[in-house]
Amino acid sequence: MTKEKQPITTNSTVPFPSTAVAADAARDDAGIAKEDTAWTQVPEPAAGSSPITTEVPAPEPQDTAEGAARAPKMTADKVSVFYGAKQALKDVSIQVHDDKVTAFIGPSGCGKSTFLRCLNRMNDTIVGARVSGDIKLEGEDIYSPRMDVVQLRARVGMVFQKPNPFPKSIYENVAYGPRIHGLAAGKADMDVIVEKSLKRAGLWDEVKDRLQESGTALSGGQQQRLCIARAIAVDPEVILMDEPCSALDPIATAKIEELIHELRGRYAIAIVTHNMQQAARVSQRTAFFHLGELIEYGKTKEIFTNPREQRTQDYITGRYG
Amino acid sequence: MQRRVAQRYAAERRFKWLGFAAVALSIAFLAFLLITMVARGAGGLTSTFLTASDSTSAEMAGVYGALKGSFLTIIVTMALAFPVGVLSAVYLEEFARRNRFNDFIEVSINNLAAVPSIIFGLLGLAVFLNLMHLPRSAPLVGGLTLALMTMPVIVIAGRNAIKAVPPSIRDAALGVGASKMQVVFHHVLPLAIPGILTGTIIGMARALGETAPLLMIGMRAFIASPPSGVTDPATALPVQIFLWSDEVDRAFVEKTSAAIIVLLVFMLLMNGLAIYLRNRFERRW
Repeated sequence: MTKEKQPITTNSTVPFPSTAVAADAARDDAGIAKEDTAWTQVPEPAAGSSPITTEVPAPEPQDTAEGAARAPKMTADKVSVFYGAKQALKDVSIQVHDDKVTAFIGPSGCGKSTFLRCLNRMNDTIVGARVSGDIKLEGEDIYSPRMDVVQLRARVGMVFQKPNPFPKSIYENVAYGPRIHGLAAGKADMDVIVEKSLKRAGLWDEVKDRLQESGTALSGGQQQRLCIARAIAVDPEVILMDEPCSALDPIATAKIEELIHELRGRYAIAIVTHNMQQAARVSQRTAFFHLGELIEYGKTKEIFTNPREQRTQDYITGRYG
Repeated sequence: MQRRVAQRYAAERRFKWLGFAAVALSIAFLAFLLITMVARGAGGLTSTFLTASDSTSAEMAGVYGALKGSFLTIIVTMALAFPVGVLSAVYLEEFARRNRFNDFIEVSINNLAAVPSIIFGLLGLAVFLNLMHLPRSAPLVGGLTLALMTMPVIVIAGRNAIKAVPPSIRDAALGVGASKMQVVFHHVLPLAIPGILTGTIIGMARALGETAPLLMIGMRAFIASPPSGVTDPATALPVQIFLWSDEVDRAFVEKTSAAIIVLLVFMLLMNGLAIYLRNRFERRW
């Protein structure tokens, strides 16, 4: 396992070197081609969406040797969550991979956000919430008493549903995380971190002349990208996104999705979304939740083209949800 | 349809007039107070009056001693009630667990805010004078007593202001790895400060005009020289007004009115300062 982060590959057209992987990809493609006939029967979301197959970025180095090549970044094993007496999540087991975007889909109240919030222990703040099961970040149990929750959240960052910049300047919004963790040696160092984070979040060009203006004065989409910049400023290993586009218009959504593509490879990303097309566009792994249970988890392509479960099939074809 | 619209406009006009009448009523009383006081007391606002302390002869009596006493008292009150009140509010709202004991504390604090001030005066007399042997008639004791009274008001206002800070801000700070402490002191408290100051203004205005508890701890004595510190015997403005209004000498009627004017101006200044501070800390979303 390499500790170093991979360079960002923005475009999915980069030819992949390994022949083994190429062969695998070809096999995958063949499989999809075979199922193309099935697409015609699937109604709305699929109609005319060959994009679903083409837009999934091709290079997936770890797909060759399933599980053997690289340990997943985070593993959840039989995770259950209770709010008081009510069980919100039942025995969920999922891996979040280093170089992949994992999408959690499902109807409202299915527990996908609850699960996401377990991954950096944000559920700790909810009175009466109880988590059982095993969640590991690089093999360390994050619920063990030795795990410092503050350190954990620096390693596992989060972007929320509603853009929530601090009512401070744009600069301060980004600089806050590095400051409390002591990541910058001085003002110049901090400037570099702020610039780098804003650039990675694709916001730098829009705000570089007004860093001292309030973060809340930005548009919704810009605010959300500011929140992403704030999350990546502390250089996390995993970024959790809880429906990051649900409050945004289509153009801002497209920008965020593009950003997710660019951030993939540098950070492990887990994203909750209501929007199935979005899951299909941005993710390589998809987990489908229903009524607190994990119904199906696998490669996005397979979930969307050839789901094993009837319930998944019904949901992604828009029969309920 | 037309008729209904007309009816709605009529209702709106009626409501506007009713509201205006309510405001006018309270303004009228204030105006009456101000006009009578100025008419009676303006002549008494001489330089002697503003620089001298109490005296047995009306022409020599002044309000400076009482003003300084009030000022020292309120400083002691605020120095104590503000930090204790704000810290209590933060603790109760952010750190305390929800259990019976804390529910009981919450009810007690709400009750405490409604306890009549004379009872606080008795408490001050019993604890600060009889038990702790602090100097009688001193702004220190007056301030301590008033602080007991003001603190619950600040706690209640502080808790409400802290509750009003949107949870999304807490989530945001926790999400980048801020500790509970950092969330509270970097984000929640700065956003809650304007609300806390509003509560403090109300508490302070009440403390400034309070007479009864000060009578109980001996600040009604005849004191002919201004206090030089918080442990010197002193009197306070409202107490001075109370004392003068009781004088048989007719010349003190003018003094009473003049002192009321001074008290009102003093209150206005203190409130103005507090509102200025509040606006400075106010943030826009």
